[in-house]
Formats: sequence, structure tokens, C-alpha cells
Amino acid sequence: MSPGVEYYCPCQASTPHPPQPNLASSSYSFHALHNLYFCEECDAIRCNHCVMVEVSGYYCPNCLFEVPSASVRAEKTRYQSCARNCFMCPSCSNTLTVVPSDPPDNGDERIPPTINAAGEPPFFLYCNHCRWDSAEVGITFEKPTGLAAQLQKFEDSAPESLEFERLKEHFEPYLRASPSTSGNGLHTHSPHMNPITAAASSALARDIPGVARYMPHALSRSRSGRDKNANRQEVPDYRARVEIGAITTGYALGGGAEPDVEFMRHLETVEEVATLDQRWGNSWVTSPRSIDLKPLRIPLHSKKSKRCPTCRHILIKPEQKAQSVRYKIKLVAANYLPAITVSLPHMQAALAMLRRSGRANAEPQDGTMLAGKTYPFHLSFQNPLYDPIQVRLHVQRAIPPTQPNAPETEKARRPPFAITLPTQAFPIAAFAEAWEYDDDEDMFGLEGEGEGEDEDFDAHGPKDSRGKSRTVGVLERRANVTMIGGEVMISKEARGDMKFNMLVSYTYRSDDPEPEEPSTPSRSQAQHKQPEMKTFSFYTVVDLGTIIVRDTSSVDLDS
Amino acid sequence: MDHPIYYPKSEYIETDTGNKVSRRATIAGPQNIILGGKTIIANGAIIRGDLRRTGPGHAVVISLGRYCLVGEGCIMRPPYKTYRGNFNYYPMKVGDHVHIGANTVVEAAQIGSHVEIGKNCVIGKFTIIKDCAKIADNTVIPPNTVIPALSSFAGSPGRFVEDMPESTQEMVEAMTKSYYSRFQPDPGSAATQQR
Repeated sequence: MSPGVEYYCPCQASTPHPPQPNLASSSYSFHALHNLYFCEECDAIRCNHCVMVEVSGYYCPNCLFEVPSASVRAEKTRYQSCARNCFMCPSCSNTLTVVPSDPPDNGDERIPPTINAAGEPPFFLYCNHCRWDSAEVGITFEKPTGLAAQLQKFEDSAPESLEFERLKEHFEPYLRASPSTSGNGLHTHSPHMNPITAAASSALARDIPGVARYMPHALSRSRSGRDKNANRQEVPDYRARVEIGAITTGYALGGGAEPDVEFMRHLETVEEVATLDQRWGNSWVTSPRSIDLKPLRIPLHSKKSKRCPTCRHILIKPEQKAQSVRYKIKLVAANYLPAITVSLPHMQAALAMLRRSGRANAEPQDGTMLAGKTYPFHLSFQNPLYDPIQVRLHVQRAIPPTQPNAPETEKARRPPFAITLPTQAFPIAAFAEAWEYDDDEDMFGLEGEGEGEDEDFDAHGPKDSRGKSRTVGVLERRANVTMIGGEVMISKEARGDMKFNMLVSYTYRSDDPEPEEPSTPSRSQAQHKQPEMKTFSFYTVVDLGTIIVRDTSSVDLDS
Repeated sequence: MDHPIYYPKSEYIETDTGNKVSRRATIAGPQNIILGGKTIIANGAIIRGDLRRTGPGHAVVISLGRYCLVGEGCIMRPPYKTYRGNFNYYPMKVGDHVHIGANTVVEAAQIGSHVEIGKNCVIGKFTIIKDCAKIADNTVIPPNTVIPALSSFAGSPGRFVEDMPESTQEMVEAMTKSYYSRFQPDPGSAATQQR
């Protein structure tokens, strides 16, 4: 992995401090900047784990037809799939094409059959990828249109859908009765505890030993169940239409009995057996024969709007049109937090050298850093705000003990390297829209020379340039980007990934007409100085790459 | 991250609108190809503008938008089919900010804007790729596939993997723009020694 920076969302933890970056679990709390949202009301970072997701529209991923939400909700039984002509190949999950059964020129199968209204009557579904076709399983159509409706007959008569209908019938009266008994407030508050779910989970726990352990609400139900049962009638036992036991002992395929053995005995190729993947989505015991696979409906996709989990303000609201990529509301963190990128000058030098000597592939190898050495690194900050900001960095050194660990592990957790970063705050100029329109050329003018410039900066740039290699401090300022230099000292016995947590605080001026923040006393400490300065802090993890032990490396990257 | 990608100056032709076309790319039927500007056609790419619709008059076969990249060894070929007994080629439209990785074969009918296509992919005939989609490296998209907006596809056959983040458009735009500006003629050995 090349060096990178990820941002911390505190939603997983009880403390505002992130977990140690070398813990495996920490990766769950850190996200790339482009995946994060920012709630203006709460003045906080939100991530995909914590936002509330709502469906704002359904569409078929194949025909792109926008299915009205109302009809999706109404057709619960159709498991929310495309009700038009879209089907998925059961063996490779590619989309199927409708083809007429006997095209005039059937000589070359490689020519993909096309939807042709003037084709011969028995139509079937054909897979362009694996050449599966529905005639093999005995599914043909009289018309090339409205296939879903034509196939509905097959599906409705399938034992599992009949069973599901019966199940619904069985629970219907109970479902209708439950809101009155449990009350509205309770119902909305804990969807997990609604009586149907509870009944289902207790049934599951009863039938399959060991499941109960994994279902917290099944347990809680048994605890609180007694008093609740007082004002609620018990669900009568459901008797299945088809006993699973009957299938397994009977003559149907898939039950693991004689017919299966018979089938397996006469196998000629492996392909005759449907893979687990192909049968996974089916309910019930299904035939293991791949020739019994039926075309699958294509499940609908949805557009989602996202809300802040605490204040419920909308963070993401897509436009109504399914294929539009615009948003009515889009509060992404990239518009609020400075974008940080990390680069390792010694690696670039090595790359440049590689490029000069024979055009090697310009792909950066893993951060190759030798133990027992000191390396400079650059962090560049890009300010997305229209106001200049002051940034201050802190490396998270002493980690507040989240839980008292054994001293042995505590020691192991201490990073075997030392990070030096500039301690003073440094400025980043405001983002100017005009640059966008300049098509980046003049912005790049500086950048183009970028590579060899590291040495030059020492001469005119940083204040605390003590020697040639000392590169801690502000290295470069241009436009809304400031690049600072840091240094990492790796101890002799260091191993593994070099990651450290860095607290970034930035101070910005919140303008007089402040629509964003009515000085919330939450995370931002409103410092009432001049034109009201505010500070926002967030944690990041900086990954500098992997430390390699000296003897394994043959390339000398340090010049 | 933002380091220049140098190419020998003689290797690419730059047009007035900033397109950079490799001399080692095969451009067949250039009169039928439209490049939007600031589009890069890399070494060894093959663009078949000659496979045009039968019939008289001028026909646009392949049109690419702005800030596109056709990677090294890519093949861009218009889709074809036999419809009612007539064999014909159909035009291919590619939007802005589309990057196509090296050695990918594209026979799509339509590719939206802000689309990223990886290396070594096969994009089947008449595929429609909507805006902000992403095709991972080594993906095979079968003919007639539709790839919805903001979705990521991978595998063979290509399957939906996940939704792209909401900020895909900005990210891809920034990426393609920076790629274009990083893609510069080699200043030459004299210039490097001077520094």
C-alpha cells in the first residue's frame, strides 16, 4: 500500500480519541476523506457506518426503469425485483436476452441474438456470457414482452411461494392485531422487538440449537417475555404445507437421499452440479442439478439519502431521476476539512532515478523504509474553505488507556518510531474558485517542477532548516495548498506498518452572517477573539508504509 | 501524487484543443473520430474510426469528450450487429473525464462522464455505461450489459459490487484533470542537469 491518510469518525468509540493505528480494529474507524460526510448542525464528521440511510427511489439496474416506491411497497411478495423483462442468468448472473427460437439464419451462434419483435413465436432467454438458455430448463414464452408476467405463473405455483403465502396468511391476523397491543411508540422505537420477529427468532432458536446464543433479542425476549405475554395472545403453531422432513426422506432431489446419490453416481462433468453460489439465494431444499436452475429476477437497486444520526438533518439527498449523479443536498467532508496527502521524498527520488534509467513502470512500490534510519516525509494540506485557515498538528503519542491492559501488551503497542512534526500553527490560504476555471495550468506550473525542488526549499522556505536534511517545517505554500515537512525516526528493532494517529486542528474565521453554526458549544470551542475564530479538530491516521528489515532490502534508497 | 508523467516530446502530437495523440497509436478513419479536447491517446492504442455505418454522407463513429484517456494498447471499436439481415456498425459515444486503462477492449455503445475503466477489461458490444461508474481491472462486461450510474462492477462476467461514493464526480474530475496536467513532454536532459 502506498502512503496515505485516512480520517477518523468517532462513531464507533465512546471516547473522542481514536484507537491505536496498529490495531486491526482501527481500520474500521478510519475512512478515506471522500467517503465521509459533515454535519453542519452538529459540527461533526459522519461516516457510512453511522449515517441513517433512507431509500429515496428504486430502479432496475438493467432496464433503468424507475419503480415507484409505492408499488415496491405494495408488491412485497415479488421480493422487489424488476417486474418487466429483466432476468439474470442463474449460472453466471449476467443479464439474459430474449431471443426468438429459430432465427432464419442459425448458422453462427456467436452472433448475439437480438430482441426482434418479428421473431418466431417460442421465445426464450439467452445468456450472452455463458450461453445458458431457458429452453434447456423448459421455459419458453409465446410473446417477447411481459416475460415477468408470463413467468409469474411458474413462480406462483412453486412450493416455496405457496408456502410463503400461507405463512403470511397465518401471521396476518396477528400482525394486524399487534400494533394495538404493543402501542405505536414501542413499535417505532425498537423494530427488532416486534412480535413477529420475536416469534420467528424464538422458533429459530428452538429448532436450530446454538442459534439462540447469537440472537441478543431472543434472549432478552425470554427475559422480558413473560410480562409481555400477559397482554398478548400467543401465536398459534404453524404447520408447514410441505414438511422438510418429507422432502429429505422422500424422492425429491436435493434432500440428500437416494435420488441425490443416484444423480451423483451418473455425473459426467462437474458442471452438472449447481454450485452453492448458484443455489444460495433459493429458499427450501433445491435440486443440486444445474439443469434445474431457473432464470432469476433482477433485484432492484435504490438511491439513498443519508441523515445525520444525531440531529437527523439530511446530509445526502440525491436528485429524483435514477441515473442522475447530482444531489440536491450533499454535505461531504471534503468541502469542510483540509485534504491531506502524504508523500515520501526519498521514494520519489528513487522513482525518478528508476525512470531515468530505463522507463521502468512508474508504479510506486511499497513504502520501503529501513529500520534504524530517519526519513523525511511531506504532508500537503489543501484548504477547501473560502477563508484562510491556521492548522496545528499533534501526533497522538500517549494513548489514553481505553482499558487497562497487561503491561506487556502495553509495551508492544508503543510505536517503535518517533515522529517529528512542526509544532507551530501554519497558515493555508483560502480556496479561490477562479482557479478551477483556469484549468489548472498555472497551478500546475509550480507543481511541474516539483520533483527536484526538495533541496531548493531548504534554501528559501522553512525557518527551522538546521541542516541539509532537516526538513521539518513549512516547505511550500502555493494557492490553497501548504506543504509541510515531517520526519520519522525508526528504531532499530522496528517492524511492521508505520502508521501514526495525528490530531489536526484548524482555526477558521466564521463570518458574521453565520448560517452554518449558531455557535454550538459542542465540539467547536468558539474563541471569542476578533471576528470570531473557531477551531475544529479531527483525527487522522497517517500511513507511511512498511518498515523493512535492513538485510532483506537490496536497493539503497537513501542516496 | 502530483508528479509529472513525462513522455518524449516527439512521441505525441498535440492539437490546438490540447489533445495529445501518440504517434504510435493507430487511428483509423480519423475523419470519423471526434476528440473533445485535452484527451490523451496513449501509445499502441487502436481507434477504429473506419468502421462506419454503411450509407452515404459523413458519419461520426467514435466521439470522446474532454479529459479522456485511452490507455496504452487499448482498442476502441464501434459495436456492430446484424439487424433485419443488414450488418452494420453503430456509433460509440464517450463522455468527459473518462479514463480507460491499458490493454482494454471497448465496444460499448455509450459511456457516460466520469467513468473509470480499469486495465485489461473487455467491454462487450452495445454496453451502456452510465455516469460515474467504475469498472475494476480485468473485468469482462458481456455484450448488451447496462451499468447504472454510480456503481462499481468487477469480475467475469462483470457484476455489481458496490455503490460509488457521492463525491465520485469531483474525485474523478480532479483525477483526470491532474492526470492531463501531469502528462508533459520530457523537459530533456539539459533541463534536468541545470537544476
